[in-house]
Amino acid sequence: MRSVTINPAKMCQPIGAMYALFGVHAAVPLVHGSQGCTAYPMRMFNRHFGELVQVAVSSLGEDASVFGGKKNLMASIENIIARRHPELIGVITTCLSETIGDDIDGIIREGNFEDSKVVPIHTPSYVGSHVTGYDNALKALVTSLSVEPDSDNAKLNILPGMVNPGDVLEIKQMLDSMDVSHTILSDISETLNAPLMLPKPPFPSGGTSVDEIEDCAKAQGVIALCEHAGGSAATFLKGKYGMAADTICPIGVANTDRFLDAVGDMTGVEIPYSLEQGRGRLIDAMVDVHMKTCGKRAAIFADPDVALALAEFVTELGMEPVIISSSTASRKFLQKAKSVTDGGEILNGRDLYELQRAVKDNEVDILFGNTKCAPIAKDEDVAFVRCGFPVYDRVGYHRYGIMGYHGGIYLTDRITNAILEWGER
Amino acid sequence: MPLTLLKSDKAIPEREKHTYIKAASENILPLSNVQTTPGDFTERGCTYAGCLGVVCGPIKDVIHLVHGPIGCAYWTWGGGTRQNLSDNPGFHRKYCFSTDMQEDNIIFGGEDKLYESILEAHKEFPEAKGVFVYATCAIGLIGDDLKGVCKRAEEEIGIRVVSFNCEGFRGCSQSLGHHIANDTLFEKVVGTKEPEYLTDYDMNIIGDYNIQGDLWEIMPLFERMGIRILSTFTGNASVDDIAQAHRAKLNLMHCQRSTPYICKRMEEKYGIPVLKASLFGVEQTSKALRDVAAFFGLEDKAEEIIEEEVSKVAPKIEEYKTKFEGKRVFIYQGAPRAWHWVNMFRELGVETIAAATTFGHEDDYVKICERVNEGVLVLDNPNSLELEEILTDWKPDLFISGLKEKYLSYKLGVPFINGHSYEKGPYAVYSGFLNFARDVEKTLFAPVWGLIRRRKNAQRND
Repeated sequence: MRSVTINPAKMCQPIGAMYALFGVHAAVPLVHGSQGCTAYPMRMFNRHFGELVQVAVSSLGEDASVFGGKKNLMASIENIIARRHPELIGVITTCLSETIGDDIDGIIREGNFEDSKVVPIHTPSYVGSHVTGYDNALKALVTSLSVEPDSDNAKLNILPGMVNPGDVLEIKQMLDSMDVSHTILSDISETLNAPLMLPKPPFPSGGTSVDEIEDCAKAQGVIALCEHAGGSAATFLKGKYGMAADTICPIGVANTDRFLDAVGDMTGVEIPYSLEQGRGRLIDAMVDVHMKTCGKRAAIFADPDVALALAEFVTELGMEPVIISSSTASRKFLQKAKSVTDGGEILNGRDLYELQRAVKDNEVDILFGNTKCAPIAKDEDVAFVRCGFPVYDRVGYHRYGIMGYHGGIYLTDRITNAILEWGER
Repeated sequence: MPLTLLKSDKAIPEREKHTYIKAASENILPLSNVQTTPGDFTERGCTYAGCLGVVCGPIKDVIHLVHGPIGCAYWTWGGGTRQNLSDNPGFHRKYCFSTDMQEDNIIFGGEDKLYESILEAHKEFPEAKGVFVYATCAIGLIGDDLKGVCKRAEEEIGIRVVSFNCEGFRGCSQSLGHHIANDTLFEKVVGTKEPEYLTDYDMNIIGDYNIQGDLWEIMPLFERMGIRILSTFTGNASVDDIAQAHRAKLNLMHCQRSTPYICKRMEEKYGIPVLKASLFGVEQTSKALRDVAAFFGLEDKAEEIIEEEVSKVAPKIEEYKTKFEGKRVFIYQGAPRAWHWVNMFRELGVETIAAATTFGHEDDYVKICERVNEGVLVLDNPNSLELEEILTDWKPDLFISGLKEKYLSYKLGVPFINGHSYEKGPYAVYSGFLNFARDVEKTLFAPVWGLIRRRKNAQRND
């Protein structure tokens, strides 16, 4: 294997932590590092979501790198509380602050901040990827904030992972149609798809409140949609509070069936007729286009859980997932990938230069991936379906979900149109 | 009270020194080029961004290898959001190289991985004319010997391998990164190649990054005058162009924040005089052409070109001026564009009511203050909350800034132009000025602004 990475498939942990915090109402991500660690990721969010994001940074300079960043971190938290009165500050570490060895847990404890909750989140950039960064952040939120329940509620905790606002909306609509009350941890559906209405609120409306996170231990169960981005928090909730837990990424027919069954099992609610109809509409859409989709050879690049679920969905469409490529290396991904591809090539956390080599070698018809994959589709002359993060060479992708039956219809249409456009090129 | 504390800054009174309302009676400049107030929601970036992101990234035929954890490389891939175009798109801006340092590399050192990475990258792209290696934060802390590794690798692969000590935590903004890039390129690249031939009219254009093709509008004007552009620093530049830059007769400096260092060193070592220019708007562009012409003795030719070009754009500019008369703009740029554009806007009938820079130094603020009227807000290193306050309370008709600030402006219902990477440029010289004016018109008069509803008695977050 090469030492040099050419065209990386992953970003670093801090951006995943920011992603998770954007879904908490009136929360401020505070990056404990150098200024590039906010300026650059903010642009990535701007491009993908077309939204304002505000991230604070402790602006570690040369002095702090020698003498430690405690002074900067304390001043940062005090300034943020005084100027923005957030409900929560998530302190996100970087390679810089972790290598210096700042004890952020100790500093935060010592600070004894009363006006806002302050949660330490460890995300050294030289470990894992954006996906594990999201996972760490969510686990930190749940472990720091959830309180031992004095009563139960009928809610379900849903941990969506690094998906789009549109996906979260699809999930919420399915749960609402079942009358299952829920806590989405964390909920970017409104915060990263915010309306333009004046006056602009100091924080975007929506997002999971700190109260809801505190109460999440009361829920009947937890479902992580992305095991790699939220699975650790689900495991914690199961272990500490003994709630039912499951991991299902509801992309495609069978995965959505399984998701709804799990919701039914945890809550005792029957699946309503409206969702059966929704399923029927997805099947109808798939039947309509099966002559175009069947037999196509697909290469799939995404974060691990989405990549696996997409591979299962394209199989339902009669395609053959000949390459399945995860942004983030993981043993679990490797195991599962073997079971969803029938002898296809598996790239476990390899870079996009390697993905391009694989696309070249495997006579691929259609490629699934983010904007960084667009040049591969062009060079290798294959149909291209944009998905994942970041997508910024086209607009609007964050608004529409690919999860659930309804999201499946949208994805089916997009896949087919990509094949049609490719045929007309 | 020329120094002012904005409402949003009550908790951080040190910001008063950075916030100046111009008053002719007092000779004050806002404090600049100092550390950011921690946690103030700064828009600043890091030293690495200034070095690779701004100055070195546009160089089109070297492997830009980022030594560190993966994020830093990902952000500057393809120039990041910067639109520094080149005529080598099959390589430049398409590939991103990183050592992707892992935890054990941080503990045991990353020199071996770096060495291997240089060799492998060269093997994959043997046509590349060099490897530039950039140090990121963690590398500075663990103390990898970049120079030593690069020297060894250079001996092995036979093309230049240059290291840049541009760790993000150095300095207080991108600015130090510009300086590091200038010094390193001067010391390691400039003067290492002789041009095939020389003319009496050889000139370098220093400090233009060919954003959306600016240079491809700028260069022909000088070439028509009879001048040969020996080297551009660094828009659409080959590393070989920079290597022969020491033989020019004149350095024309455009971005006067990111490149005065190399101009000074070339003046000291090779005796190349420096001419400062603004290449935005009619008046400034004409002045730059005249200044260059005077240096080379090409005045007649310059006047011909100026007359021809101005006659093409002047009537349209007059039309725009009538449409824009009375509009007010808030300019927030990296540094020099904040003052380059005060005059350009004035030519369009738009007055500047506030001007700010991310990493300007004292000389940038001198130039801003020379150009703006009494009562204009001049702000150093503004943070997001200050920007919101200015956009809300000072009520500009137009905000011109970068991508991070774009959606703040939109969410506040304020028309916006991306001055960093442009909307649909190029924006430089005469032809670009028309593009610029067209984009200003589009955003100022877009019907959508009139559809926004303002809710009465709205409460916080309801």
